[in-house]
Amino acid sequence: MHHANHFYGHAYVLARYCKLDDPFHPPRINGYLQHGWNIGDGMAPGMPFVSGSTLFLWSEQTRRRAWSQGRRNTIVIGAPFAYLLKLEPEPEGLHREGTIFYPFHGWEKQQVFGDHRGLIAEIRATEPGPVTVCLYWNEYRNRRIRRLYEKAGFRVICHGYRGYWWRDHDREFLFRQLNELRRHRRVASNRLCSAIWYGLLAGCEAAVYGDPMVLDNSDLTFGGEPRIRRQWPELYGVETDRATCYELARQELGADSLATPEELRAYLGWSTTGDEHA
Amino acid sequence: MLAWSDWDPARGPALPRSAALRHLVTELSAPGQEVLVAGPHDDDFVTGLLAAGSRVTWLCRSLSDAHRIAETYPAVTVLCGSLAKLDPTPRYDLVVAADGLDRLDSVEGPQATPDELAVLTRVLRPAGALVLVQDNPLGIHHWVTLTSNRQYRSDAEWYPPAAYDEIRPASLTQLHERLAAEELVATATYALFPTPRTPSVLIGARLLGDTASPLRGHLAAALAEAFTDAYRDTPVLSDPRQLAATALRAGAEASLAAGWLTVARRGAPATPDPTHELVVGRGDDDYTYELAFRDGQPRLTVLVPPRRRDERAGLRPAAIPARPPAVGRIFEERLLRLCAQADLAGLRGEVIRLVTWVEQQARDGYVAGPTALATPCTLLDDGVALHLTTPRWEPVTPIPVATVITRALWWFAVRLLTTGRPHPWSLTASAAELTEILLGMAGRTLDEPTLRAAVDVQVALDTVEAGLTDREAHTRRLALLELRSGTPPIDVQGYRELAEALWRQRYQMSHLLAMLEWNDRIIRSRDYWHSKMDWELQFYRKSWAGRFLMLARNAYRLLRRDLRKVWRRLSRADTSRSR
Repeated sequence: MHHANHFYGHAYVLARYCKLDDPFHPPRINGYLQHGWNIGDGMAPGMPFVSGSTLFLWSEQTRRRAWSQGRRNTIVIGAPFAYLLKLEPEPEGLHREGTIFYPFHGWEKQQVFGDHRGLIAEIRATEPGPVTVCLYWNEYRNRRIRRLYEKAGFRVICHGYRGYWWRDHDREFLFRQLNELRRHRRVASNRLCSAIWYGLLAGCEAAVYGDPMVLDNSDLTFGGEPRIRRQWPELYGVETDRATCYELARQELGADSLATPEELRAYLGWSTTGDEHA
Repeated sequence: MLAWSDWDPARGPALPRSAALRHLVTELSAPGQEVLVAGPHDDDFVTGLLAAGSRVTWLCRSLSDAHRIAETYPAVTVLCGSLAKLDPTPRYDLVVAADGLDRLDSVEGPQATPDELAVLTRVLRPAGALVLVQDNPLGIHHWVTLTSNRQYRSDAEWYPPAAYDEIRPASLTQLHERLAAEELVATATYALFPTPRTPSVLIGARLLGDTASPLRGHLAAALAEAFTDAYRDTPVLSDPRQLAATALRAGAEASLAAGWLTVARRGAPATPDPTHELVVGRGDDDYTYELAFRDGQPRLTVLVPPRRRDERAGLRPAAIPARPPAVGRIFEERLLRLCAQADLAGLRGEVIRLVTWVEQQARDGYVAGPTALATPCTLLDDGVALHLTTPRWEPVTPIPVATVITRALWWFAVRLLTTGRPHPWSLTASAAELTEILLGMAGRTLDEPTLRAAVDVQVALDTVEAGLTDREAHTRRLALLELRSGTPPIDVQGYRELAEALWRQRYQMSHLLAMLEWNDRIIRSRDYWHSKMDWELQFYRKSWAGRFLMLARNAYRLLRRDLRKVWRRLSRADTSRSR
């Protein structure tokens, strides 16, 4: 229904989980799937929304927020990444080393302004082991920014393009991200974001430090960065308590409330019976 | 009183008619006793008393009624006239006033009101008992009735109830005080539901207000069934079942009962009067049983065995359970609470529990007996296992497990939607969609034939319970198959529930309109992108020369368009300058 349902290959992951015949071309999702960790009502601010449509949210907390903002048709299904973890359980004898750092990113319509050199210096001063910097496609495509991180001696990667208006989807995005997270002992960023929660759920330690930078035209309705820092202080700092942060990640990604494949098919409108019954 | 009959339903309220009431009255009588039946009662009261060996005197105010009674029951002494003219000699061992005190005065002559109780007490022998049913002005049946002031519609109310406000008891305490004023002491008290004249649930004094009693689950189920039967297809202000459930939770059943039945005497009797904790009766087949909690166990005693009934629509009356009844809370209450809390993980656990329980009852893929008709509202949960409450019906042939499970979950979905209860899924979901979700929680899928079979079982049950004709059953089947979020209630028609259904319909309508508009925009956007992608595909399919030509043509087209724009802007500027 909305192209954001297909960002990061989310629809593909869910189609695999639901054991559809052809998960590569998932059918239309009957509603809006939350595509990133959100401190608002689950939808990106200003997103066009068909009133009365179903919202598929990641956590019960988001559902409460969505209700308070007038959203009524909400179902908590959990994050697609949590479903991916069920599809791809952690293999035996995994070796983790170093840190994967996710610098805060922009997108087509909003750029990030900040001192990358300063951030690089802070990463170097903080992280003891090898560092992989995973740039979002928006920054990765910017040769100047990419070179800064490459010259700093980090291993610079990108998980792929997010997808936009049903084009250029990268169905393997989350799989690649999961593999990378499982190779590293720590996941870090200069802002608390989906990648940190994903990393925690995938078994990494988490850390949020450094200059949070500024997002062009950011929407502060739900409090922005200062609010995130106040509400999730456990995630901030160079060292954090892994057990506490892991529990928070389970809550934020709805990992304890995942639907069964049959149930999820019913939610997303992918049932095999279709519209035959009344 | 002439030109009058209390047996005419068009001119006054219904007669007292209840197997449970009848049993309670009959168990107080003994052979050779003198019994006065005061006012209009169903004939069965009198035949029951005669069969118990009592000598019955029947007081009625209508002459035509008196003639009929005298002809039909020659053994009965008939007194015709107003209560005020009753001979005050105490000569009755039992006075039965199950119709209350409102139909004892005729239009002629002096009125016994407000002294009916004194008159009836006066004719009691010293060791005699008075069985009195008193309507409760605060009763649930008054709360939910759509017709407010009936006075102008009822020939019987030459004095409306408002005329008796000061003297009629408005609570059980006031009733006991009124009895005490006549030197009477209540030896047994019952709260009556759903109506004072046709009660099918009688709650004894020991259970009244005892919210910790293990019998509460059975009581809740019995009350829900009683109200459903009494108000089926009757327009009401609001569903009485919700009010009754809340009253139960508050232990306020005495305050909100439709009426009270008291057995009152002047002093303690030689042998104590029989009392019951909970009596449940069914109007249609007279089956009446008592539930009591004795020696740490719930016990079911049959007071009036059911009449033999034929099978209909593939169902037959369930046998009286051999095992003692279970204790616990109604399973549906837990599901409703989890739905309201949006606790999906908890709901999954409970749905799996229900499905597993049904599967365990199955033999060779079929479920036999009353378990095949189980739904969350007819199951008790003792915290460990699920148990049936006292079932009424069972299928003649066993039902496939899939159908039983589908029906149990589908009926829960139907109740969620038609009672407007909150749930953690789409507000616009239909009953079929909710059933699919609930089945999915247990790893099962919904298929069309099984859903239809489940609906057929429900229609069969409704046929035997409500006495539907074939045509009505067909209409009901269609209504159940079409059940959506905005469907009005299907059994008890509440105005409040109807308003909620209307709101949901409006919500759904505005969503559908927004969807139409969105689909239109998306299709247009897709057409545009489709056209662009088509151009790209053609580009990539061509040879190098072909690609060069395509690009050149595109560049020429864009240049022409932009030059035209510039020219138009210049010529407009010229014209405005020359003005």
